[in-house]
Amino acid sequence: MSSDRGEGGATAVQLPMTPDVARGLRLGQRVRLHGEMTVTVGWVTHQRMFAVARGDGVLPVPLNNSFLHMGTCCYEAGGRILPHYVNPTTSTRFDAYLPTLVRRFSLTAIGGKGGVGPDVVAALKDVGGVYFSMPGGAAPALTSGVVERVRTGWDDLIEQFRLSTFRVDGFGPLIVGVDAHGNSIYEQLAIRANERLPAILQELERRRQQS
Amino acid sequence: MSIVPGGAVYMSIGYEQFREVARDLYSRALKKIPADTHRALAAAEQVETDPRARDNLRFLRGVAKTTEQQSRHACSDAGFPTYTVKIGTNVTLSGDIRRGFVDGFAEMVDTIDPPILQFITHPLTLERSYSGKDMPILSFDVIDGADYVEVICSPKALGSGRWAALEIFSYPTLADIEAYVMDCVMKAGSQHCPPVVIGVGIGGSFDNAAKIAKSAVLRPIGTAHPEPMVAEMEERLLAAVNATGFGPMGTGGDTTALAVHVDYSAGHGFVPVAVCFNCWINRRTVARISDAGEITHVE
Repeated sequence: MSSDRGEGGATAVQLPMTPDVARGLRLGQRVRLHGEMTVTVGWVTHQRMFAVARGDGVLPVPLNNSFLHMGTCCYEAGGRILPHYVNPTTSTRFDAYLPTLVRRFSLTAIGGKGGVGPDVVAALKDVGGVYFSMPGGAAPALTSGVVERVRTGWDDLIEQFRLSTFRVDGFGPLIVGVDAHGNSIYEQLAIRANERLPAILQELERRRQQS
Repeated sequence: MSIVPGGAVYMSIGYEQFREVARDLYSRALKKIPADTHRALAAAEQVETDPRARDNLRFLRGVAKTTEQQSRHACSDAGFPTYTVKIGTNVTLSGDIRRGFVDGFAEMVDTIDPPILQFITHPLTLERSYSGKDMPILSFDVIDGADYVEVICSPKALGSGRWAALEIFSYPTLADIEAYVMDCVMKAGSQHCPPVVIGVGIGGSFDNAAKIAKSAVLRPIGTAHPEPMVAEMEERLLAAVNATGFGPMGTGGDTTALAVHVDYSAGHGFVPVAVCFNCWINRRTVARISDAGEITHVE
């Protein structure tokens, strides 16, 4: 479900998201998430998830179609696990694993910062999923949309590497960085920057001649 | 400048001051946005032509204010500690300086609220901890005639460390050097939490080029290099970087960088060129310790 609830100009998106809802999101659209989402920033976590995707074992927590790259630091209060702070990490670090994970776990919502590579974009198109771009270095804003941590798996790992599910309410603002139709803001910007580069270098030369 | 309220008073510069400075500078770096970052974001918002980028800049300005007002961490990635220690030649040092930094960082880990996560990584096993071999990374320099020690703290994480690069050229032209800077910018793309500050170190030896690039990236935004030729290079490179269009948060716009700072050293015909980045927060804190042992936080 997604609706324009006027959350600071952002569209409210309920997790888990069906492929049809994901396909309805527009590239560059600003959204806020509601529901449950599972996160990690662990390299070793991705290795374990990759092994599960290849048939070795089971995931310790259900993904329910959502998996984002986010570091988290929590504390216990009144029997609940609450966030000190949360913040994304660079998603391309996990490009080798993500296409398999997206397809195997039917991930309709992934996210992090900085975008993902073309193989991940293709996998999202196949399953009907999107990549949500989180603002980096905006922990206070993002944390305000996190209600509590509801479960963790692989607890032998350090906190931010565990597979952790959070309940969120208005988590964001996020931007649809990759849509479910094979379009990526990051790829478009990189192509445009490469197209501009010859003119940029010419302008540098012109200014060097003038100086 | 402000003297630390309630700070201890020491009679000379040694272990105790470096421990205190290492602890406090790191904590402040995680919860404080430099004044020049605030100003540069505001100025960028005024001239940014992309509506989404303007929204992003406005959002970052709000985050910067909230971070400081609520004494929160701006970023969950506390990174690993690096300190630059500039020793005035008119001061007297005593005691275990390195141990002061090690213990000060450890004390910060034990006391900071909210706590930080483990980011110090063994490069061979990838195991994480709050400490490790050669941590904190220290670099030293001298300031002739000064009667103080200056300590600059710069936490290093992905946005402020991952995209740095160095290449050694033989008799490069200015065009070669500037094209290499642009090559590094293109490789980093949207991934270093822009708008960034870019430091460029040219010349000297391999290690010196990296050192002056890091020093340049930590120079306050808005301070041009004193030599006109270098200042012009900074100006045209900033325009070039921002013409790429990666924009704030890497989702498009005119503001990919807030500043490009260049410095150079004489050397041989082979010329190392080092390029490094600092993410939008521009984490950087500075303190001075007088010869009498008084600690002043400069920023």
